[in-house]
Amino acid sequence: MEIDMKNLHPLEVRLLRHVQAGEEITTERIVQELNYKVGQCNQAFSWLEGKSCIQEKRRDTQILYELTDLGRSYKEEGFPAERIFKLIRNDGPKSMPEIAESLGLENRDVGSAFGQLSKSGILEMNGERKVTAAADSLPESITILKELVSRGDTAPLMEAELTKDEKKHIKGISKKRGAASAPFKISEREVVVYTLTEKGEKLRQQLIESGMTGEELGALTPEILSTGSWRGKNFRSYNVQSPPTRVLLGRRNPYNAYLTWVKDKLISLGFEEFDGPLVETEFWNGDALFMPQFHSARDIHDVYYVKNPSHAESIEQPYLDQIASAHEDGWKTGSRGWGYSFDHDFTRRQVLRSQGTVLSAKTLPKAKVPGKYFGIARCFRYDQVDATHGADFYQTEGIVLGKEVNLRTLLGLLKMFAEEVAGAEEVRYVPGYFPFTEPSIEVHIKHPKLGWFELGGSGIFRPEVSKSLGVDVPVLAWGLGIDRMALMHLGLNDLRELFTPDIERVRLRRGK
Amino acid sequence: MPKIEAAADSFFEFLGKSYSEEELETVFPVAKAELDGWDRDEGIIKIELNDTNRPDLWSTAGLARQLRTYKGGDAPLYDFFSNAEETFDSDKRVVQVHENIQKTRPYIVGFSIAGKPVDEATLKDLIQTQEKLCWNFGRKRKSIAMGVYRSDLIEFPVQYFGADPDAYRFVPLQMEEELSLREIIEKHPKGREFGPIVANDALFPFITDNRGKVLSFPPVINSAEIGAVQVGDEHLFIELTGTELKDLLLTASIVACDLADAGFTIEPVKIEYPFDTEFGQEITVPYYFQEPAKAELKHVSRLLGEHIDGEAAVQALKRMGIYSIVDDEAVYITVPEYRNDFLHAVDIVEDIMIGRGMENHEPIMPNTFTLGRLTPEEEFSRKVKDIMIGLGYQEMMYNYLGSKKDYIDKMRSTGEGIVQIANPMSENYEFVRNSIMPALLESESVSGNAVYPHEIFEIGKVAFLEPSENSGTATRNYLGFMAADSDMGFNQLNSHVSAVLFYMQRDYKLKESVDPRFIPGRAAEVFCGGKRAGVFGEIHPEVLENWGIQMPTAICELDLDIIMQCD
Repeated sequence: MEIDMKNLHPLEVRLLRHVQAGEEITTERIVQELNYKVGQCNQAFSWLEGKSCIQEKRRDTQILYELTDLGRSYKEEGFPAERIFKLIRNDGPKSMPEIAESLGLENRDVGSAFGQLSKSGILEMNGERKVTAAADSLPESITILKELVSRGDTAPLMEAELTKDEKKHIKGISKKRGAASAPFKISEREVVVYTLTEKGEKLRQQLIESGMTGEELGALTPEILSTGSWRGKNFRSYNVQSPPTRVLLGRRNPYNAYLTWVKDKLISLGFEEFDGPLVETEFWNGDALFMPQFHSARDIHDVYYVKNPSHAESIEQPYLDQIASAHEDGWKTGSRGWGYSFDHDFTRRQVLRSQGTVLSAKTLPKAKVPGKYFGIARCFRYDQVDATHGADFYQTEGIVLGKEVNLRTLLGLLKMFAEEVAGAEEVRYVPGYFPFTEPSIEVHIKHPKLGWFELGGSGIFRPEVSKSLGVDVPVLAWGLGIDRMALMHLGLNDLRELFTPDIERVRLRRGK
Repeated sequence: MPKIEAAADSFFEFLGKSYSEEELETVFPVAKAELDGWDRDEGIIKIELNDTNRPDLWSTAGLARQLRTYKGGDAPLYDFFSNAEETFDSDKRVVQVHENIQKTRPYIVGFSIAGKPVDEATLKDLIQTQEKLCWNFGRKRKSIAMGVYRSDLIEFPVQYFGADPDAYRFVPLQMEEELSLREIIEKHPKGREFGPIVANDALFPFITDNRGKVLSFPPVINSAEIGAVQVGDEHLFIELTGTELKDLLLTASIVACDLADAGFTIEPVKIEYPFDTEFGQEITVPYYFQEPAKAELKHVSRLLGEHIDGEAAVQALKRMGIYSIVDDEAVYITVPEYRNDFLHAVDIVEDIMIGRGMENHEPIMPNTFTLGRLTPEEEFSRKVKDIMIGLGYQEMMYNYLGSKKDYIDKMRSTGEGIVQIANPMSENYEFVRNSIMPALLESESVSGNAVYPHEIFEIGKVAFLEPSENSGTATRNYLGFMAADSDMGFNQLNSHVSAVLFYMQRDYKLKESVDPRFIPGRAAEVFCGGKRAGVFGEIHPEVLENWGIQMPTAICELDLDIIMQCD
């Protein structure tokens, strides 16, 4: 597989350019020669090995000397021997306990340091059993040890890198176990030795040819800008195709965005929005729509009843009387009515709104003529919840009032919806049935993707409805089944998904 | 919507010719019917009927009759209907109604058929028609129940009366032994299904012949003897009992016309009532009771949006199987015996519309200028949504119904002021939400695996009890938003609340809240224009635990209607 130079990290680039084919590549070397931190170096090795640019040649076991806390204190304060020597030189002869006390050392440490120095003839014990100086300077071994603790403080010392002399001395003050009492701890480490592969060599040549050095500028910072240090330098070029990290953003729910789109569409067609409460009376939910009170569609199993208060206090007049008469004998609507005795108690029974047409009916008493109205209303049905039935759902409904509206303008309106809202290619009208409209029309459309389906129902409000609610002109009433289109728009096939509580699913959901 | 199954052979015989599937699809809309399927192996066509006011279409014969006339056939003339002026001779076929049934199930109608043995298709169709009519039109036998009997076993006059449920016994269909009427409603499957219609009455409806041999216990079950009709029977007696006389007469007419179309002779039966009915004390059935109906041609033209003259109206109605005449700029129709759905002139207009063919009505674009406008609440919500999205919140949409567990128990709430459903389908949908908070917490509880932070919101409706309202309830537009993350708390949410109200240009005050849903001392009530407009804070760990949430969560809920008004 070809490697894009842009996918190389600056650490890899610099390393590749630095080494030659056949050379041994080790952490120590790179740390030393390229001034990498050990971690950076290991990272670069792992990346390059992953890309088959370098390969493992062998593993060496290496002995390391790590400075202990004691060693660190020797570095700061000096070795006991050194300190004793200085004390004696400055203050004159002292007894061993005196030395221990002034330097804050343990007696045995003083003893062992004295032992060493007296062996090399630097210190000696006088007749008063006091320690006195026998030479002007410390032995060379102390200088070597001081040098070792100093170097050992930045990084562990590798045995392979120590001189013969240094090795001799460091061994004397190091321990493998119980190292707390020694300045150095001895440990062993495996060192991997790499060499450049053929692929690595090829890449190296490419890098040299391209002039990419790994010293290019990374992120542009305010500092680089304020100092102008970018001048004359190259910028590291990024792999623009590498996948970006994910971002969480504030966002509309795509289903609601779709409903908003439908609303805006209807507004643009001259419709004014209406809205209403979730709790309705049987009066508005059914009676006002001229559904006989004891119609099978109104049996208890189709609507949700409110437990308490079970009945509204009153129903708006004169509409109650007018609707009641329309049911009984037609009132002044020209109808013979249903011919039964209207139940004034039942009509106040409270339900959860089961159809959007309720809002159309409630709009009639205050509607302008000519006027166009619509609403997207949350409705509730007593249904088993499944992929095609929700406990609550939206219905899109509306009305058009006007002296001149008629069947043909209704068909025109439906055609406009079919084209504008559903993107339909063909429209077909078939007679329909709704208790509150006569004539009633269903509009079927041929959708580019879904084929033929019923887009909605419509009709001209029965005079028993419109006249009883104070309107003397014809009223076109329509409802659109937009959920099906919404599902398609969202790439879903289950109505329950529209109201999912799952955050991730909503985050990932997109509308077309 | 009723669905029927028609035997293809008999359906096409009624239609006078065979139709392809495509032809059926084209013609069915005339009867507001839809082709549901066609089982070629069984020869069964499945059809859905959409007009609940046209029960005459819910049978093979009835649907075929409508389609046949639309295709140019003549509407049949039925010569066996008595009416207010003319009564046919019912011979010995009389049903006597007793006074003691008036309060329970006062009406019975009936007729007999003869002329040829009943074949299997007719019997099947008759049973189906009975089921559909009694279920959909007769409100599950409450207002109409129908029984069919072997007429040869009956000695007229038949008696219809209220019977003591413990004293009267007979062997019902599907059983071997005699049961009392009360035992039937307790033990028989049909008794358990339909018994409740009469169970609370002192006397149960009962039909016997003149010797006391049992016909049936309507609306529940027939006797196993007289009521067990079989293929090959030549004489049948059909009765219908119920509470609405006109509906019963109409249903009897529908069944009689269907059977006449199938080639049977209809024999009238006289019903003798001891009390007055709207058609007198003696009614000979089938009985034509419909009043003539009319529509002004001007009215027809106005609603259809084009000029319709008398001839055009008459022709269109003829295709619908309706005879009519034109007089003085109005069309007068003779309502067919099997229909009673002409309440208003608009009902005639619809038949003219269909009779003319839907393809002959040309759409025109509405051209009246009206102003489109959103509700002020919607406009306000849209502005708030923009701010929430700017704050980084994902919009959610939730169901408005939920359970006691979610809305009350998990929320450390008493449930005061919540709207409860009297007839819940399941305990999962028993309450209307009075807060968006449970939905937000449900989201958090199911989204533990989604990358944090979680910042979500919804603007939607809630409802709660409000005694000052006529309905005793109020519906409001609420904003709810929730933030959940390892370092989420009161302060972050406070900043967000402040941003929303700053950009909506509303002054507000905060007051420490003691709402048990929040951690004490880390929740505030929001006041706008002196009214309590909402609450926010850190959700109480006990609530989080109830929802199985293991992430600090803070929620704010604001009443947008109040905030909108306090401008």
